[in-house]
Amino acid sequence: MEPALQARELVRSFGAVQALRGLSFAVHPGELFGLVGPDAAGKTTAIRTLAGLLLPGSGQARVLGRDPVREGAAVRESLGLMPQQYSLYGDLSIEENLRFFGRLFCLPRAVFRERSERLLHITRLSPFTKRRADALSGGMYKKLALACALLHQPRVLILDEPTNGVDPVSRRELWALLYEFVGDGMAVLVSTPYMDEAERCHRVGLIHGGRLIAEGVPGDLVRSFDHEVYRVEGGDRSACDAALAALPEVVAASPAGARLRVVVRPGAGGRVADAMAAAGASLHPADADFEDLFLARMAEEAVA
Amino acid sequence: MRQPVARFFIRVGALAAKEATHIRRDPRVLYLALGMPVVMLLLFGFGVSFDIDRIPLAVVDRDQSEASRRLVADFVASGDFVQGASLASEAEIEPLLRRGGAAAALVIPKGLSRDLARGEDVPVQVVFDGSDGMSTTQALARADAIAQAATMRIRREGGLSAAPPLRVSAWTRFNPTGRSAIYLVPGLMAYVLAMVSVLLTALTVAREWERGSMEQLFATPVGRLEIVVGKLLPYLGLGCLQVLLVLAMGAWVFDVPMRGSLFLLGVVAVLFMLGMLGQGLLVSVVTRNQMVATQGAMMSSMLPSMLLSGFLFPIENMPLPLRTVSAAIPARYFVHALRGILLKGNGIAEIWPDLLALSGFAALVVVVSTVRFQRRLA
Repeated sequence: MEPALQARELVRSFGAVQALRGLSFAVHPGELFGLVGPDAAGKTTAIRTLAGLLLPGSGQARVLGRDPVREGAAVRESLGLMPQQYSLYGDLSIEENLRFFGRLFCLPRAVFRERSERLLHITRLSPFTKRRADALSGGMYKKLALACALLHQPRVLILDEPTNGVDPVSRRELWALLYEFVGDGMAVLVSTPYMDEAERCHRVGLIHGGRLIAEGVPGDLVRSFDHEVYRVEGGDRSACDAALAALPEVVAASPAGARLRVVVRPGAGGRVADAMAAAGASLHPADADFEDLFLARMAEEAVA
Repeated sequence: MRQPVARFFIRVGALAAKEATHIRRDPRVLYLALGMPVVMLLLFGFGVSFDIDRIPLAVVDRDQSEASRRLVADFVASGDFVQGASLASEAEIEPLLRRGGAAAALVIPKGLSRDLARGEDVPVQVVFDGSDGMSTTQALARADAIAQAATMRIRREGGLSAAPPLRVSAWTRFNPTGRSAIYLVPGLMAYVLAMVSVLLTALTVAREWERGSMEQLFATPVGRLEIVVGKLLPYLGLGCLQVLLVLAMGAWVFDVPMRGSLFLLGVVAVLFMLGMLGQGLLVSVVTRNQMVATQGAMMSSMLPSMLLSGFLFPIENMPLPLRTVSAAIPARYFVHALRGILLKGNGIAEIWPDLLALSGFAALVVVVSTVRFQRRLA
């Protein structure tokens, strides 16, 4: 099956900053793909390049097999984009924003009415149609932006950090909406800086420094992660930090509440436990999660 | 799927309606568009006037007759001059002007009434303080006009029907009373309209960039030309309101006549507004930032349309390089056409070169802004 979205060896620089360094991934119809990574990893640049808003320095972007810049007109008819920044008109109401975008897509009146009613219903914005966009809460604003991006029923939907600045309840709502669309066969690319949201995607790509450092089904990725993960309990915090920093076996150490969480090379748990005992602390095994995986992969990239 | 042409108009309509809603919701745009021209026209119309009235006029009356007193009264009755010191001889004039005791002096030679009775020309002299060139020119024109009127009156009263050769050669056509408002106001209209129009559109595209809505807009199938036209239309409507407002003010407040065709005036004004709005759009497309766009708009509209349009300084008097530059300033053609239509009643036969130049400029800026309007975010 031809991928709905494809990034092939994308490279892009802004002055001296290399935003993308050979980014490749693909999203298939009916798939929810998560581009997960910290700020400045290159997520927005990747999305803008795929949407045809930026030219890649080298490499190719493809939307339904088409070049989003050269065949922009055709691509935009079947692509929905929800940018990260506020990009609707704050002084227009929900209704007026929807009508404006509906007319840009030249939807016939009846079609527009039917779709906007449905979208307002599923986003639960129906009671607020007269409210101006800049008077909406973060979650409501994102849902309106989503509705605007879906009016023309795109086959491909790209969302740049849709859950940023959204409360947990609205965040769950947004994800539920995305599942619904994917179930209908849409290809969805969503970017997020939150590692815990990676598990919600069908497939994820961990992006760092402008390229993927891991890619796959979230459960598989965590299961096949061969490093050991421990909680460090007790002991003097700064002594522990110093001891861990001196050990090459420790791939990543991060604070988790009052404790430390460490990711250790396979089979090196014993040596680390000894060092911690010397610092008056003890090691307790923990289940690996996405953040551990990400930190470990990031540290390995830095070494390589 | 609808036809491409229909889609073009649907999208342009959507953009224009959206822009109109922005304007309605943000009264500052309306103040800027409709209030600023009025304020500026009033300020400039009254403030930057080269008109001078109540010029202190010293009198050297060597004739001391009924006729000489009538002549002095003529000068004073015009309202342009007020009678100042009476001097005994011409020698006293210069020291008086130097002191600023008077700005002009009227010298009536001995034998005025006798010569008049014989029907001979009488050399009446008016001496001006020439240190303010602009005012002097104006005052000279007034003195000319008054002297001429007085001569006519005297001749009429003397029953001389044969017209003797006129001694006064300066004859201000179209502005017989020498009022500067009449020729200033058309230039002022061009200046005010240029500035406000460029500013209006310069802000609108830059605002979309700054607010981030350009990213969303570019993700839709809307075309660049559609955005440009959709942005121009509502402001063109606003611009037409501006033109009407400014014309009405010119007519009511400054008594500017309307001698030509109002329709032709409308055509000229729409072409000029299109060019200016397009220029603002171009500034906005290039700068992408409201602050920079504002400054770019002001610089590119204010100075040329004030200094190089012929509004204040006649283009014929400019050095060649400036004259060449002024050929690229649309305000120059607008001022020329406006003065022609308003003051002389010119028609298409006289102003077609202006129409051509204005259309050319409008087409050029719209094309260039569309081409420069890159659908890229960086």
